[in-house]
Amino acid sequence: MSMIELSVNQRAVRISAEPRTNLADFIRDKLDLTGTHLGCEHGVCGACTVLLDGVPARSCITYAVACEGAEVTTIEGLDEDSVTAELRAAFTREHALQCGYCTPGMLVSARDLVLRLPQADERLIRVGLSGNLCRCTGYVGIVRAVQSVIEARRARDIAPMPDGGRKILGPVGSGRSVHRGADRVEQARGQSAPEAAGSVGSIPDFIPATVLTQHFTVAHPPEQVFAMFGDIAAVAACLPGASLTAPLRPERVEGAIRVKIGPIAATFLGAARVERNPADMSGRIVGIGNDRRSRSSTQGEIRYRLVQVGQGTRVDLSIGYTLTGMLAQVGRAGLVRDLAARLIAEFAGNLDRRLSGTSDAGATAAELNGLALVFGSLRAQVARWLGRFSSRQDGAP
Amino acid sequence: MKPAPFGYERPRDLQAALAVLNQVSDSAKIIAGGQSLGPMLNLRLVEPQLIVDITGLAELKQAERRGDELVLGACVTHADIEDGRTADVTRGAMQRVAANIAYRAVRNRGTVGGSLSHADPAADWVSALAALGAKLTLRSSAGARAVAMEDFVVGALECALRAGEIIETVHVPARPASAHWGYAKSCRKTGEFAHAIGAVLIDPSARTARIVIGAIDAAPIVITDAMELFGGRIGGDYKDRFDTRVADAILAKAGVSNAAQRHIHASVLKRAVCEAAA
Repeated sequence: MSMIELSVNQRAVRISAEPRTNLADFIRDKLDLTGTHLGCEHGVCGACTVLLDGVPARSCITYAVACEGAEVTTIEGLDEDSVTAELRAAFTREHALQCGYCTPGMLVSARDLVLRLPQADERLIRVGLSGNLCRCTGYVGIVRAVQSVIEARRARDIAPMPDGGRKILGPVGSGRSVHRGADRVEQARGQSAPEAAGSVGSIPDFIPATVLTQHFTVAHPPEQVFAMFGDIAAVAACLPGASLTAPLRPERVEGAIRVKIGPIAATFLGAARVERNPADMSGRIVGIGNDRRSRSSTQGEIRYRLVQVGQGTRVDLSIGYTLTGMLAQVGRAGLVRDLAARLIAEFAGNLDRRLSGTSDAGATAAELNGLALVFGSLRAQVARWLGRFSSRQDGAP
Repeated sequence: MKPAPFGYERPRDLQAALAVLNQVSDSAKIIAGGQSLGPMLNLRLVEPQLIVDITGLAELKQAERRGDELVLGACVTHADIEDGRTADVTRGAMQRVAANIAYRAVRNRGTVGGSLSHADPAADWVSALAALGAKLTLRSSAGARAVAMEDFVVGALECALRAGEIIETVHVPARPASAHWGYAKSCRKTGEFAHAIGAVLIDPSARTARIVIGAIDAAPIVITDAMELFGGRIGGDYKDRFDTRVADAILAKAGVSNAAQRHIHASVLKRAVCEAAA
């Protein structure tokens, strides 16, 4: 817990809260100021918009601990505010609300527009309110209400204030810590031990939600590459982030793959079924895996076919996957494709080096891991791919 | 929708911040305005053990004109630029980009350095600052180094920052009086992340053009000498000489396999070119 001092509606407040407590929960739960609403909790809907140092900010993605010394004004603190009073009357007149859930945030954003916009331009008002979602009104009444208040004020020669009154640089609410010094809250957290992959039972066939195709070439003949693809431990060693977690069996591989895209990291543990067809040098790996921390699951399938090209081999890959759970929410297919391309390039390079006997694959994989390349969906895909080739798990969170 | 527990530290100065990152960079995450990291924390996509808040560092909340360039501290916000609280060396170009990032409530906290570090390919500064020819100063306890914007973003959410290193300043060169600027993006809803971004800095008298095709789910395509897009020559008639087919070929080569997507990117780039010529 951390002692937080700030001012809410011009009242000095000194309350302890966890660092992870967002400003909205802080003012709702600790101060009972429940006029501030939480909708999406990730900065999209605008219901939680409050004034922070006098200008609008999202209280759901602003942590209370980061607002040390700041001035917070909630909808309750705007009772006597003249602009908000005009807006309330206009909202009533224009039927600018129905259920009222968005209204506190809407009024805070509307007040900011009234102060800043030079004139009651409908387009500018709509753009200015685009960060506040209303599912009842269709916005027509809201836009009219804001327009009418701007018109009335400009008619009374009240000049706009394009900067909303802000004169200093940096994030609003920041940098006024009364402690004027380091403020550290230690939080020891146990490392969660990886789950056993053995909990995965049968590995069903499935229809992937996303299919990516990739190919790469290595300077070695198909027979040699195909033979190496049969050596699961060797393949795993070439895959950044992959590790095997159970003794090898001919048709079932258990392992983990750690994937990382920017700040997002997950470790998928799972099992995969391996099929090989020497007649046409093709193969298929079907896997299933889970990341416990993000409670995300993936099913994946990698099909490969080796084609002789000159003295070398082109490896054609078709990677299909389905990702469910939290990671799926950020699994933009394009990002996964970018990740897959980078991962496969690393894999191809490692494979080539290993086939040439020029490097210690273990060391290479560790280095690649440090590159931290992967993304959620990609990871899912990788998981499958790793699930098959599974790998080590160094640095897993 | 609530973050996993994390520790929190607000260092008093840059040196202290770098020292902390040096100790714990594996499990720590820097936060500035938190407008990208906050959602990821709330969704538990990111679960750091320690959050290092750099918004208290006065060194990073400065902006000044030094000779021919603007030097922005990493914690300068989009709204600071939008409102003109920072000097303008781009004749309004940065101000217009800033004004169209997300929503005002987000711009009041979101920072330039944070957006760049996050390296979301669809974020505005990633493309706009590459087109403007900006450079970054990255600092760690070992010292500082300069990286050009076009070398900074290496992939989706991946940038050139090393462990223990942060963006200290952004250096934006002055836009020459003869250089035209165009910036266009396509968003299905106002304020959301772009599906396509085109940024162009064209100087017909110097016969140079920098072009960025952004929001392609990978590092943006930065073409520092973009003659090929204008039939091999940059002149006053560049708008008419712009060749969408070349843009399409560049996108295909960069791995954008969907023809409709390429069409959208090429069209948005054309809009940026037209804006520059207007």
